[in-house]
Amino acid sequence: MNAAGTLRRARTGLPGLLVLIALAAGLATLVIVAVSGRPPASQAQQVQQIAAGLHCPICKDLSVADSPAPLAQQMRQEIAQKLRAGESAGQIRAGFVAAYGDSVLMSPPRQGVAGTVYYLPVLVLAGGLITAFLVLRRWLRAPQPGPHGAGPPGVGPPQASPPQAGAPRAGPPRAGASQDGPPQLSAAQRRAVARAVARLREEEPG
Amino acid sequence: MTSRRTRLLAGVVAAVAVIVAFLMTGLGRDPSVFASPLVGREAPNFTLPQLDGPPVTLAKLRGQVVVINFWASWCTECQVEQAALDQTWQQFQDSGVVVIGVNFQDTVDAARSYVRTDGVTYPVVEDAGSKAALAYGLRGVPETFVVNRSGRIVKHVIGPVGAPALASEINSMVGTGAR
Repeated sequence: MNAAGTLRRARTGLPGLLVLIALAAGLATLVIVAVSGRPPASQAQQVQQIAAGLHCPICKDLSVADSPAPLAQQMRQEIAQKLRAGESAGQIRAGFVAAYGDSVLMSPPRQGVAGTVYYLPVLVLAGGLITAFLVLRRWLRAPQPGPHGAGPPGVGPPQASPPQAGAPRAGPPRAGASQDGPPQLSAAQRRAVARAVARLREEEPG
Repeated sequence: MTSRRTRLLAGVVAAVAVIVAFLMTGLGRDPSVFASPLVGREAPNFTLPQLDGPPVTLAKLRGQVVVINFWASWCTECQVEQAALDQTWQQFQDSGVVVIGVNFQDTVDAARSYVRTDGVTYPVVEDAGSKAALAYGLRGVPETFVVNRSGRIVKHVIGPVGAPALASEINSMVGTGAR
């Protein structure tokens, strides 16, 4: 059934009007449910929700909702009574915090010193990322070892002279690499130096 | 290199010194005196039926020093402090001091039997439903709260109380008038 058809039928009289009203009511219900989220919880569910957020004071690592201890049962009864009296979940939690302190909450509060448990990991992570970025940048900008060094192939500093024909090609000069430091030799130059040194050694007396 | 090592060593020593100093601050603290969030605040009011007598309303005791002791007949540590509480009651009841025993998670019969057998002389009330216990943030028994003449909690003791410590606390309030 499309909107144009509905409107045509609406013009025909009362039945059409009723259909329109029904459609509008259905649409309004959908909007209300979509805006307000889940339907309101029953009182038992509310008690369970609040109790699940409170630490049983005489138990070890059990919430008031999970504990079978008599005091936890009485706390659940107290929560139900306060809900019936019109107190909100926040007011009920605040009442228990006033008597027991923040330790009665299963999750620490987001404000005050206890709130640092939420923010500290994020701060430490951010600090770590910044440190890693700075270290990495410094490492990338630092002069790389020469061809005899342990640096990765193809990322060495610029050649001291253009490579000769037949000489193995080094990688392109890396952007930002330092031009200072000892002179770098190509493979052909190194071979020439080696030959000269060998000749000198042969010419040495004795 | 040496200066860098020296700086590193000095940093480690300083960090250890800070941690040790922090830990040492706890050595002088009495572990039975609990840093309750209620200390310094108005004592939650209650009206509870007495085991043998009319109901007791805390608000009506304003102007007197009140010692509220949560106990149970099944609690062995409560028996340890029983004599100290009775002694305090006998010593100070004519000086504007009231000792109240609040029976916690017990049966009335067991509580009555305990009171008769152990010769408890101060008023004992029954906290059915633990409403008072929850209002006072109770974590077990025995626990004792000292309320001053203005109705504010000045001390919260977890575990058995001793007569000398209790007398010292009360003397400081009775001797100086309302605080």
